[in-house]
Amino acid sequence: MTAVQIVFLAVAALTLAAAVMVVSLRRMMQSALALILALVGVAVIFALLGSGFFAVSQVVVYIGAIAILIIFAVMLTQNSMSPEHSQMNPGFLYAALGSALLFSSLVFILSMWVGFYAIPVNLDPSVDTITVLGLSLTDPQGFALPFEIVSVLLLAALIGGIYIARDHHRD
Amino acid sequence: MPTVNDFLLILPEVVLLIWALLILLIDLWIPDTKKYYTAVLSAAGLVISAGCAFALLGRTGSAFSNMVVLDGFSSVLSILFLLSGLAAVALAYDYLKRNAAQRGEYYTLLLFSIAGMMLMASANDLIMVFLSLELLSIPLYILAGFFRPRLASEEAALKYFLLGAFSSAILLFGIAWIYGSTGHTDFPGIVASIDGGRANYLLLLIGAGLLLVGFGFKIGVFPFHMWVPDTYQGSPSSIGAFMTVATKAAGFAALLRVFLVLFPAEAPIMAGILWGLSAASMIFGNTVAIAQMNMKRLLAYSSIANAGYILMAFVPYGNPVIAQEAVSSALFYLLAYALTSFGAWAVMIALEPAESDGLLLQDFSGLGRKYPWLGAALLISMLSFIGVPLTMGFWGKFYLFKTAVDGSQIPLVLIGLLTSLVSAYYYLRIVMFAYFKPGEPQIQPGRWASVVAVICAAGIFVLSFIPTPVFQFAAQMIMGMK
Repeated sequence: MTAVQIVFLAVAALTLAAAVMVVSLRRMMQSALALILALVGVAVIFALLGSGFFAVSQVVVYIGAIAILIIFAVMLTQNSMSPEHSQMNPGFLYAALGSALLFSSLVFILSMWVGFYAIPVNLDPSVDTITVLGLSLTDPQGFALPFEIVSVLLLAALIGGIYIARDHHRD
Repeated sequence: MPTVNDFLLILPEVVLLIWALLILLIDLWIPDTKKYYTAVLSAAGLVISAGCAFALLGRTGSAFSNMVVLDGFSSVLSILFLLSGLAAVALAYDYLKRNAAQRGEYYTLLLFSIAGMMLMASANDLIMVFLSLELLSIPLYILAGFFRPRLASEEAALKYFLLGAFSSAILLFGIAWIYGSTGHTDFPGIVASIDGGRANYLLLLIGAGLLLVGFGFKIGVFPFHMWVPDTYQGSPSSIGAFMTVATKAAGFAALLRVFLVLFPAEAPIMAGILWGLSAASMIFGNTVAIAQMNMKRLLAYSSIANAGYILMAFVPYGNPVIAQEAVSSALFYLLAYALTSFGAWAVMIALEPAESDGLLLQDFSGLGRKYPWLGAALLISMLSFIGVPLTMGFWGKFYLFKTAVDGSQIPLVLIGLLTSLVSAYYYLRIVMFAYFKPGEPQIQPGRWASVVAVICAAGIFVLSFIPTPVFQFAAQMIMGMK
């Protein structure tokens, strides 16, 4: 077993444990902190795959912005999130069974696919992947049109967010 | 470099999006008392964009390295979306004023949504399908909740948003399976991979199934219809009318193109699923509609049933000859349904007082005597919904049933005929209230809703005399589709 594999296993275990903590911890604040841990784990996995750009944006966007936003939301709505209620749905066993069944059947189906056993190829170190990504997003022969559509989409979401959040009782 | 041709082929969408952004800016300088300027401006934008779409009619080609294609199918649907948008603006003109919700965002979001629908009809890449679906949905989530803080409107928006986000995730998951199977997201690449035998069949099949579920939510077929009644009832009526027609048409546009182009080989398996969806939608929509006393909910259940009728013709899509016929009859029925549905909603909006959750059927009592024009429009719309001769609804169902018979789907046609008979009960009950019960309905100030109702009714009646040219136009338009 190489060092990279050991690091991967450790990080994967940590990520999964943190993800379980997100849904099982009683206090919302602790869940939010566990979420950050899980997100860091994903960032490390990106780095292990040789995708430095994704690792950095995972840290900047998810941990730097989204997790902080969630923590703010938790702090502002503390009273509505009382930890007295039970953590489990009454039918959680059935749900767990259904999820396990779905997961195993997905793995079974995917195991019949050649890509399942493909060994990841190392990226050519002389190619700057961020440049390729950036160029393909702005290249009209690449993804320029979807990229522009996304910008319109975000604008629509922004307008909608402002419209919904506005104080409608005032005017 | 993008060529002029790239931009030319998506000119209607580009014009519409730029216009929407301009309206967003100009609206800042329009005082609250003069918001009808914004409505007139957005109508002008829709007309200009429709003019571009008309000019491009008959032209074919693909732009931005196969991200979008322009063909007769997308051109005809684009014009249908733009005209629906025009109707939605006309219906909103007095209705929003009455409900003290005259805000410029309505028009900007509406135009964004229409641009999303147009891109969806011409999408030639699964990434474009997904993004245009989001571009049409997100503005509609907001528009459904436009009467916030009214509770019904908030409920409509939230239900639509949660189930819509859920269905988008399923659709995206399906796209991931197809990408995993073929290694492509663009339609030509996927087709080449399937034809070359490089695609994994099982993964492709799962992806196709997930896509069908995602589109099923958007077109509101049983069992993906849960959001339909509450969302149509709680949304502003002008948006409810727009959604029953345009969102459904956009969902069908993507469904038809994706399945015809990508999954003809999966037709034997998909036909069974489509058969079940179609039959269940016709039976469920038409029987539950009987129990509805609220006009908006009744029209919502009727829209579920109508989605089932359109799906019926598409069941035998594996046969290329039938598939051509199915797409033309679907286009024809969408036109007939657009006129009929807008007609019915427009009559209701003309009568609907402010702060209402939709009229009860009793509220139509005496309509025929007091307002003969509106009464006639309601009568024609209802007859067209049933499929009585001398209406477009009759010809729409005629072509759908004929296609299904040609595809030897006799049991499905029988279900369609029987459920149409059932539907006659609740559609005629509205006519009964309007003509045979005494009452004093009060038309609301402003005449645009009545104008839309009369235009739609006239369209239903007049076009029913020339069904063959209309159908042949649709058939000719989709010839180049691939």
